[in-house]
Amino acid sequence: MTCEEFERVLPELGDEHSMEQEEHLRTCSACSDLVSDLNAISKQGRLLQAAEEPSPWVWNSIEIALRQEGLIREQPGNGRIHPPKVSSKSRWMVPTAAVALILFGVVLHQRTGIPHPEAKQESPAGVVTADLQTEGMPSDDMQLLNAVAARTPSMRAAYEQNLRAVNAYIRDAEQSAHNDPNDEVAQQYLRNAYEQKAMVYEMALDRSLQ
Amino acid sequence: MTDAKKQQGRLSEAEAIERAKQGDAAAFESLYNLHKRRVYSLCLRMTANTAAAEDLTQEAFLQLFRKIGTFRGESAFSTWLHRMAVNVVLMQLRKKGLAVVPLEENIETEDESPRKEPGGDDPRLAGSIDRMQLQRSIDSLPPGYRMIFLLHDVEGYEHNEIAEMVGCSIGNSKSQLHKARMKLREILKTSRAEKATKP
Repeated sequence: MTCEEFERVLPELGDEHSMEQEEHLRTCSACSDLVSDLNAISKQGRLLQAAEEPSPWVWNSIEIALRQEGLIREQPGNGRIHPPKVSSKSRWMVPTAAVALILFGVVLHQRTGIPHPEAKQESPAGVVTADLQTEGMPSDDMQLLNAVAARTPSMRAAYEQNLRAVNAYIRDAEQSAHNDPNDEVAQQYLRNAYEQKAMVYEMALDRSLQ
Repeated sequence: MTDAKKQQGRLSEAEAIERAKQGDAAAFESLYNLHKRRVYSLCLRMTANTAAAEDLTQEAFLQLFRKIGTFRGESAFSTWLHRMAVNVVLMQLRKKGLAVVPLEENIETEDESPRKEPGGDDPRLAGSIDRMQLQRSIDSLPPGYRMIFLLHDVEGYEHNEIAEMVGCSIGNSKSQLHKARMKLREILKTSRAEKATKP
């Protein structure tokens, strides 16, 4: 067997070799070295197996999307631990924030003149929604993050990241809607953005309480 | 892992799949936690970018979960998932205009094929492959070779599984793997030679 013939069958070679191949490897140091090198590369490759993990926000984003699409449905009596009763100080935030955000979005949609994104506005529930371009987080987001941190400190960073992402989404959506108030797609985009934020609030309080 | 534990693991995954089909949030999360490392690792090694890898991981899982109702168990769940991850990665690479080696048998030009250097005693690589160096070398492989190498030598898939995932023949998978390894050998030897000549 020549080196050329050996190399031709090399891609198909498994752990076992024919007698002819064994004989060639015994007598040809170049092919023997080649096989040894390729095996070493393969072996070393196995040591590179998954060690890294994606950050927690990846799952959070997946969960948000699944809930939005209705793929996650609440299971009756699924054995999940229900959150303990908490003070109304935190609990009021969930429905109020959700309703306020969505209502604000609806009002914005119906108005002909959408306020400039930089203008500070507050909805009746005290939720600042337009002032999202200033440094740091809106005060209600800070309040939410403090509530999360008080109960589950390890989740705070992930939720902060989520809130920043969804706030950026709201900013983009508001800009698009502002640029073309008659664009139905942009308006829908903006409603989706508010709904996502409401969902983040709901999840943050629900999880941190567990 | 013992057989009993493997069996238990399989039952848990099967249970999680059935519950996920019913919309159970905990089941989705369980499936995600079972497979996130391998999917993310594949995406990361293909993109060499953490943010891009996380986006692709998210997309792969979302596509999987949207279609989970259609999973009938004909193939292993992990194979199904990795097929989605591979598709998501390949689509991303194509969007960026990166040339992906076509996964059909292709005729290489002289310039493309990894050469076997004639003559000269060259010490074996065995025992001297640095892990970081191998990782860098993998990053420099053409995307098509890189994909097959990652799936086979890093993730441990068999050629029949890879063929199903990427949509090529078993023979082609073997051929691409061999070329990937030959290319890596060439890169590693060149790198070692360069190090040896440095003062």
